[in-house]
Amino acid sequence: MAESSTLFDDEFMNRLNYLTIVSKHMIPGHLHGEHRAKKKTDSGIEFADYRQYVAGEDTKNVDWRTFLRLDKLVLRMFEEDADLPIYIFFDSSKSMDHGDPSKYDFARKIAAALAYIGLLNHDRVSLVGFADGIAQEMSARKGRTQIWRAFNFLESLQPSGATSMVKAFRNFFSARRRRGLVVVVSDFLDETGWDKAFDMLRYYKQDLFAVHVYSTDEEHPDLPDEVLLEDAESGKTERIKVTPGLLDAYSEVFEEHCEEVSAYCRKNGYGYVRTDTELPFEELILRVFRQGRFLG
Amino acid sequence: MSFLSLSPAMAGLLLAATAASIVVLYWLKPPPKRVVVPSNLLWKRLLREKKKKTFLDRLRWWISLMIAITVGLSVATALGRPEVGSSANEIRDITVVIDNSATMATRSSDGYTRWEHAVAEARELLQQGSAGGRFLIVDTTGQAPPTEASDRGSALDVLEGLNVSLGGESKFPMLAASDGELYFVSDGVMVDDVPPEATVVSVFEAADNVGITAFEIRSVPASPLEYQAFLEVTNASGRPKDARIRLSGSGGGRLGEDVTLQPGESQGRTINLSSFDRGPVRVAVTSDADAFAADDYAFSFLPVRNRMVVVLVSPGSIYLENLLLIEPRITVDFKTPQEYVTGVAADVYIFDRYAPPTPPSGPALLFLPPDVSWLAPTLGIVESPEVMGWNAAHPLLQFVSLEDLRVDRAARISPLASTDGSADLADIIVGSPSSPLIVVTENPEKVLRVSFALEDSNFPLQPGFPIFISNALSWMMDEQVALTSAPGRVEVPLPAATVVDLEGKEVVTWTLTERTVFVADGPGLYTAASGTRRLRVAVNLADRERSAVNATSFGPDVQTASISQPSGAVQPAGWGDELWILLLTIATALVIVEWFTYHRRLTV
Repeated sequence: MAESSTLFDDEFMNRLNYLTIVSKHMIPGHLHGEHRAKKKTDSGIEFADYRQYVAGEDTKNVDWRTFLRLDKLVLRMFEEDADLPIYIFFDSSKSMDHGDPSKYDFARKIAAALAYIGLLNHDRVSLVGFADGIAQEMSARKGRTQIWRAFNFLESLQPSGATSMVKAFRNFFSARRRRGLVVVVSDFLDETGWDKAFDMLRYYKQDLFAVHVYSTDEEHPDLPDEVLLEDAESGKTERIKVTPGLLDAYSEVFEEHCEEVSAYCRKNGYGYVRTDTELPFEELILRVFRQGRFLG
Repeated sequence: MSFLSLSPAMAGLLLAATAASIVVLYWLKPPPKRVVVPSNLLWKRLLREKKKKTFLDRLRWWISLMIAITVGLSVATALGRPEVGSSANEIRDITVVIDNSATMATRSSDGYTRWEHAVAEARELLQQGSAGGRFLIVDTTGQAPPTEASDRGSALDVLEGLNVSLGGESKFPMLAASDGELYFVSDGVMVDDVPPEATVVSVFEAADNVGITAFEIRSVPASPLEYQAFLEVTNASGRPKDARIRLSGSGGGRLGEDVTLQPGESQGRTINLSSFDRGPVRVAVTSDADAFAADDYAFSFLPVRNRMVVVLVSPGSIYLENLLLIEPRITVDFKTPQEYVTGVAADVYIFDRYAPPTPPSGPALLFLPPDVSWLAPTLGIVESPEVMGWNAAHPLLQFVSLEDLRVDRAARISPLASTDGSADLADIIVGSPSSPLIVVTENPEKVLRVSFALEDSNFPLQPGFPIFISNALSWMMDEQVALTSAPGRVEVPLPAATVVDLEGKEVVTWTLTERTVFVADGPGLYTAASGTRRLRVAVNLADRERSAVNATSFGPDVQTASISQPSGAVQPAGWGDELWILLLTIATALVIVEWFTYHRRLTV
């Protein structure tokens, strides 16, 4: 599949390998899961702790020696490595199908790269395309053998529909999900409010890394004097008289929008990276790494 | 405010249409281009913020519209050539007849000429009417003949194109009957027959003038080799004047004389020109405070006056020998063909039935020459050729009748001027192209060739023969007194001639049938040349009527123009009270302001 792919071609794979090597140098030993949480379970090798036995529980881990000595039923607890769930949400709404190169392709490349790194890192990676809800989901996978499945999944999706991040997160996290790192790759042009969606993640105590993607002509549009702007998602139009002053004001509004997303993330301790589609994606990935949230 | 190039109704229509067009253009919204954007979210937010400034935006829109309308109206108004100050004037049709005869060039005491005062007065009269009136400017010498009255701007343009005509007839023009006002601006000297309905505006002011009223160079009848200049000087001033006459010419010839002239007195002088060489002669009269310069100098041309040396080379011709011996202008040297040596000095050569192998160093008259290399070849002998015709206008044949000329035998010569055929055709003055009898060439020396021998014809017995020989000598020595003419339109009896002035500058000419016409603005000596013919024309004012600058027919009751404001005379038309330049300046300034504020993001 990878051989016939146009999005994830050989050059892309070479870049991913390069990123993998670079990431190892950036955070030595990261593949050993030092960053991972230790989970106490009733099975395992390494003893961790005792806890009170509760009636009805399996008695196989009852420490009988302690019972004989203290006349109390206690259970032996063992420590086990907990793999980090990574939920990669990429925006597959119609607004992403814009720019040259396309924001959507750029977002998929980012998602593919992060999934690749995560799977190599033995993390449990979920890929979720969202628009007005969850468009399609690749359930959590682990191990490098899942890489091609992830790529196939990313390539199978086409952008369509409006954006509702709230709806997508609600649908996804209403099923019980483990706490993990939520990576959102989007343009954050969400009429229902990206901030409400982020509030929801806070509620679910998920960590967040926002990758803000936009095209250059979004930041500095080149429009004729009189123009009918058509919303790619809703199809609604807005007639405006374009003047140099209006274009300047638009650029300011766009900057405010980006700054709002950035400020939210900064305030809540989330990661945030902003990029236009002309930036080489591996450079963006390195920026993500440097933020120290995805790896380490 | 009124308009010079538009009627009030047209001007109103133009302004309304301009304003309406601009408003419509502002309201018209062309179909906008549809552009798909990822989301209108940010644009909506921006427009929400913009709506807070709706009032300011509307104000800007109205300001922009007002500026555009102001620019448009300024340009449209400028096109109508608006003027101020005449709105209160009633509609009047005004015809101004302006005198541009010679005496209008007389300078007044303020330094400006009567003509300049007249132009200023005429302009002032035109300004008195309203823009809706009809205006007509007519002059007295035909430069601006009566036409249909038009708007004031056109009349002012006609006025600016007029100038004083020193020559030609000056008379009050024939005007069609009109209900309008008729003004005549003049000094009253050269124009009379002013219709009673005309309001006369006088620009006359008494002035001093001593001028040349006659100047001519003539040969002394009793002695053809001597020339005299006849000069008449007239004092047209109202007081006695001392004047100095100076005569100058070629060869350092110079004469001077002081005269005192009583008012209206004319004094004639006959001046011996024996100390002058052949060439132009100029006479000038100077006196203090002379107000009319055009008659202060005059020109003429002094022809050859020296005795010519003529060499006659002939085997023997009683006719020629006897005739040349009694010709007073020449000294003749007789030689036989054997005695003739190439290079012998003479002013004119006459070869009878002989031609030297090389051309002589001066003009030559040849009778039946044999074939030589420098002459057109003889093609044969013609027995009893008919004298079909001759060019009576040629100077050689002036006063010569060939009606009874009979020729027994003549050589049929080629019409080419030389044997190699490279030269131009010879000018046949007697005979036909197939049988030329007398031809002339000028390449470079004048050659007059007669294709028959005198003994083979009755030409020597004709009364015109001595005149022909005399004309031939004059023509070959180029001795002609100048034609005389008054300034203005000058006709020269030469077809398609080129005319040059004394400085050698070519003058613009028009060709008429057998005539050439040119315009001489002032006195001067002109040379007209057409082929081998050359004429000199002395253009002089030399007219008592034109020099009489104070002979006005206006009485004391005639309205006198204000001549204390000469500055109006030199003020160009189209400026003055007209506002179009100001309006265009305003429009330009507003466009610049609009452009500046647009690009500085002040109005957008």
